[in-house]
Amino acid sequence: MLRHLLTIAILAGLVLLLVAGVEALGVRVFDRIATNLCISLVLVLGLQIFMGNSGILSFAHIGFMGVGAYTSALLTIPAQMKGMALPDLYAVLQGVQLPPYAAMVVGGLVAAAVAAVLSYPLMRLSDAAAVITSFALLVVLHTIMTNWSNVTNGPRTLFGVPRATDLPMAAIAAILAVITALAFKESRTGRLLRASRDDEIAAGALGVHTAQLRWRSFVLAAFVAGIGGALWGHFITSFSPNAFYLRETFVILGMLVIGGANTVTGAVIGTFLVTGAFEGLRAIEGALNSARIFSEQVIGITEVVLALAMIAVLILRPGGLFPTREIGALLARKFAKRKHVS
Amino acid sequence: MTFALQFLIDVLSLGGAYALMALGLVIVYGILKLVNFAYGELIMVAGYTLFLVGGSGLPWLVMAAVAVLMAVIAGILTDYVAFRPVRAKSVTAVLITSFAFSTLLQNAALLFISPRPRNVPMPAAFSQTVELAGVITPVRNLITIAAAVVLLGVFTFLMRRTVLGIAMRAAATNFTMARMLGVPANLIISSAFAISGLLAGIVGILWIGRIGTVVPGIGNEPLLVAFIATVIGGMRSLGGAVLGGFLLALIDTTLNYTLSQELLKFRDAFTFSLVILILLWRPEGLLKGPATGQRT
Amino acid sequence: MLEVADLEVRYGAIQAVRGISLTAKRGELIALLGANGAGKSTTIMCIAGALKPAAGSIRIAGEDVTSAGPEAMIRKGLATVTETRDVFPDLTVAENLMLGSYIRRHDRAGVTEDRERMLTLFPRLAERSSQPAGTLSGGEQQMLVIARAMMSRPKVLLLDEPSLGLAPAIVDQIFEMIGVLKRSGLTIVLVEQNIAKALEVADRAYVMRLGRIAASGTAGEISAATDFNAVYLGG
Repeated sequence: MLRHLLTIAILAGLVLLLVAGVEALGVRVFDRIATNLCISLVLVLGLQIFMGNSGILSFAHIGFMGVGAYTSALLTIPAQMKGMALPDLYAVLQGVQLPPYAAMVVGGLVAAAVAAVLSYPLMRLSDAAAVITSFALLVVLHTIMTNWSNVTNGPRTLFGVPRATDLPMAAIAAILAVITALAFKESRTGRLLRASRDDEIAAGALGVHTAQLRWRSFVLAAFVAGIGGALWGHFITSFSPNAFYLRETFVILGMLVIGGANTVTGAVIGTFLVTGAFEGLRAIEGALNSARIFSEQVIGITEVVLALAMIAVLILRPGGLFPTREIGALLARKFAKRKHVS
Repeated sequence: MTFALQFLIDVLSLGGAYALMALGLVIVYGILKLVNFAYGELIMVAGYTLFLVGGSGLPWLVMAAVAVLMAVIAGILTDYVAFRPVRAKSVTAVLITSFAFSTLLQNAALLFISPRPRNVPMPAAFSQTVELAGVITPVRNLITIAAAVVLLGVFTFLMRRTVLGIAMRAAATNFTMARMLGVPANLIISSAFAISGLLAGIVGILWIGRIGTVVPGIGNEPLLVAFIATVIGGMRSLGGAVLGGFLLALIDTTLNYTLSQELLKFRDAFTFSLVILILLWRPEGLLKGPATGQRT
Repeated sequence: MLEVADLEVRYGAIQAVRGISLTAKRGELIALLGANGAGKSTTIMCIAGALKPAAGSIRIAGEDVTSAGPEAMIRKGLATVTETRDVFPDLTVAENLMLGSYIRRHDRAGVTEDRERMLTLFPRLAERSSQPAGTLSGGEQQMLVIARAMMSRPKVLLLDEPSLGLAPAIVDQIFEMIGVLKRSGLTIVLVEQNIAKALEVADRAYVMRLGRIAASGTAGEISAATDFNAVYLGG
């Protein structure tokens, strides 16, 4: 128990340190970066809840982020804006306007509900079939977001989403996500699920209903993703369905894989590292573009580097930077050893 | 009658392209039981190669051959970068590396070439139309049908009559046993990736010929098509993948003629829901392939 | 011809084979006997190169082949017939045989000659030459995998449970063929549940129990001295 509290303290401490540092510096750009980092943390931890415990790769996660973002946007865009932002909106929804905090929770709940209904039958699949179906699910969600003009404004940008997310709020959400992910990992469901990940047949023989456990973690992951999407929507204030597709999937997956999908610590550290590297590279891209060294705009460096880093990590250290133990457990062990020696 | 012929040509030319796309994906899946997410980028490589050699003044067929060769090389490279180093570790790791490799290639094209569409040299025949028994159809549709027939014929010969082909079919059902008979695992896997690249290269040129330009994301749609066709056709069976390609073309063409514009936008949602339903009903795909094999 | 010394195999934390040593001289047929779970098939798969040993060594004709993979083993002269009777079900009988001769595919004359020899030895296969192997009966599939293994002209043949699940008449035929192969000078390691049959054809036998060799000797000594009820019923 102590080591779990230690893990939470260290990871939450990291987030708080970030917030304190940014507030102290008072630079607008850093505020934006730190808020984005906290939102990414929520999304990566959501994915960790499913992938880390079940061992199954899911492409659908970012689809649920989109569900959360659109739901929350729909419930918060002021009535007078709706006529412009969503000209074809159903009459029932035109008058609805919730405070953003409530709408974000609803966004998470809707994402969880959609996941609960769609994914239940999918959870008994493993290996390639599971991955292809989750990929297909992402395509289905994306196609619907792109074409259901009544509620999403189609492939065009949806604007007019009220700004509600600030750094303290995103940081609180990130810390809550850390606690949720760790609590799920150590819960009975999480433990059984991890046992089934290591040996599906043996766990089945012990009477573990693997599909049921996977489903619970998938729904929880979708809930967290939905909240993350809503937070992001109220931060960026205008977005289009392409924000919730393969590029975002790649970035979030990259953060998780580099840090280590099996641990919450890995998810957090991966997010910090990748965000840091990304911002650095983006600055280089920006500098190259404003210097006009090349005739064309320079884009894609960040993705190229992240892709190379992901491949290198999976080859050299397949479990990521924190493959099995949480930071709290690692420190507790080190401490115990030292005491033992003295 | 005219409509029937029009419909038939549409289905056969689209189906031919789809079948070749699916075959290129399933040849690797059959042996490794792993999906190559970077498959669409082989088509992209062929497209950009054709763009890059476009100003060389070489005969078009030579340029096309160079483009296909580059796709073959990219296919083999996929194995060395994304599959071979992590193959023994875990299924998830390979899927992630191949997804990362796909993003890597796409963004390399963004970075080193351009985000904007690039014109690809195509022979004049690709943009001409011809009248056939009262039906006016683009010549490239007929070229696609002819290319599909020839390639499927060559492929069948390779898999049925050559030692390598027979060894590959054997490895697809029982890799360990094939190795115990002395068939080298790496030769089989590299050959599968090379054939995958060959099919992607040729179908890529035909595919790009429809619009005449190449963009970094050109391979996304073919990858999705290959996915669906493969799942419809049964993920272990080569014949099934071909059949799946033609079935998908039949479904797509029928929907194109029957659905209203409003619903047509949701076509991908329909077909991918179909994929999910098929996988739920039959996790091995619609058509039964040979018995389960082990991975190495 | 085949020397295995102190072989150990682990599956994760479980040690399935705990230090096995056995030898087979040229032209000798040795039987490996024991109850289910004694480690016989694990030993065979390890010698065949499909499993990596944790310790110990394997030699064929004096050459150390301990760490050779499955592709290399057959080139060193060791062919394996697995317990699961692994025919390639959607390949024809002829194609299955052709893959058996994969490592010497350039020696066309020799391959043709061997195929004729195998089809004479197993006439049932000749009748079904162009049929997919998956459509054969269990006995025919067993004949096919033995014939396929012989197509590589091995020095040593590992035979894992050739009689498993087959009718007695078929079992008799198969053991007759094993006798013919042995008389041709082939070294054979035979794993068998059918002890009586195995000891009829074997020169020597090893009895395995819980991953170790519990007894060894000539076939006569073993059949006289070992209480097989105890070995097989775990008493």
